[in-house]
Amino acid sequence: MSVATLIAEKLDSFPESSAIALRIRQDQYFDVIRGILDIFAKKKELESIYVTSSIPCQSIMNALQVLEVDTEHIWFIDCISQVMMSVGEKHPHAIYVESPTMLENLMLKVEYLIRKAGGKTNLVILDNINSLAIHNNIKILSEFLHILVNNLRSKNSYTIIFSNEGFESEEMTNMLNLVCDETMTVEEETTREAG
Amino acid sequence: MLGRDARDRRERCKTGIEGLDNILNGGVPRGNTVLVTGSVGTGKTSLCLEFLVHGSNSNEPSLYISVTEPCDKLLKNIIPYDFFDDSLMTDGKLHFIDLPTVYERLGLEKAEFDFEEVGILISAIASIVRELGIKRLVIDSITSVCYRLKSQENIRDFILKLGSVLSEMGCTSFLVSEISPAEERYSLYGVEEAIADGVIVTGNLERKGDLLRTLQVVKMRGTMHSRAKYVLDLTTVGVLLVPLLKGGSAGGG
Repeated sequence: MSVATLIAEKLDSFPESSAIALRIRQDQYFDVIRGILDIFAKKKELESIYVTSSIPCQSIMNALQVLEVDTEHIWFIDCISQVMMSVGEKHPHAIYVESPTMLENLMLKVEYLIRKAGGKTNLVILDNINSLAIHNNIKILSEFLHILVNNLRSKNSYTIIFSNEGFESEEMTNMLNLVCDETMTVEEETTREAG
Repeated sequence: MLGRDARDRRERCKTGIEGLDNILNGGVPRGNTVLVTGSVGTGKTSLCLEFLVHGSNSNEPSLYISVTEPCDKLLKNIIPYDFFDDSLMTDGKLHFIDLPTVYERLGLEKAEFDFEEVGILISAIASIVRELGIKRLVIDSITSVCYRLKSQENIRDFILKLGSVLSEMGCTSFLVSEISPAEERYSLYGVEEAIADGVIVTGNLERKGDLLRTLQVVKMRGTMHSRAKYVLDLTTVGVLLVPLLKGGSAGGG
């Protein structure tokens, strides 16, 4: 079974309002986002909000295009392009946050997109916790995740938080365990760990 | 506890701004006169306009009195709200009036008003509110009106009498106050906040080079409310609010 199918199947077993931390390797990245956006979200008819703090959303969009993933129901919050001074032409499905340190603005943009989606169920992907940790200290990051995840739970939204395998500090692991229902490592057979 | 229960039983005027209504435990107590104060570019006018648009959408006739900027110009720059429709104005649910035009009609052309002229101005505003059945009023800005009142006695008298007349008519009002960013008080003359039933402060908070728009309710008679600082965003779906993160590292503000 491919990683994409495996991820989609595992996510399918979670109820709405779930928060899942997904520990992935770089070489699995595109299989994982295809599994989430093209299989899981499409099957559940979710409006997807993709928050990127690691690479500009244009790069992700280009990759999705290559993978032939339909992006009509995918919205991006990009908090890295402006700080890299590389926004260029603005995409109609992208909202830009000035800096990954503006965590409140990031929450506000998520709220905005959820309101724009009307009553539809949402999936919010946070890509990724490691890059947010470069720009923010662990205390403010924990507070941010706690508020964001609980707010999304109250709106029956799924939250998926990416973490780069091998780049997690002990504090980050504790933080993810605290706010998420489940932490999963993507292997050939995806494994669940205690939440 | 009894006092608190009684306060929370007061009828509410829901602002329609979800975050603010949550902060205020359901909305502004109906008939309150609220000072909305802050420096330029902090979202005072947008907040007040949204309060009126939500009011007119829920069949509460609403009135915006502009003192400094002509209404035509203001309407050209209004945020294209998803919930705003020009028919609100043509249907007589949402009104805009330029106060300088009212001054002219009343013959109040002096740069400084005396006690009697303050009375004439209050009566004129009250008549408009009564005739149009206004339930929500914004005066933007009260600071500009106060420029003509000069003395603290006149300003106190004006806000006290105006607030009382509007409250009797069940009209909930927001008075916009302009202050400079460095100001440590909530109004230019220092008396407005003492007389108003509520004070909502908007501001800019700089944190490590990032500039955040903030909102804080420091006073609201007739309801329990949060006094924490929130970060706001002005969007086409209206004002959005989230708590200001502290993270043990936030400086200033």
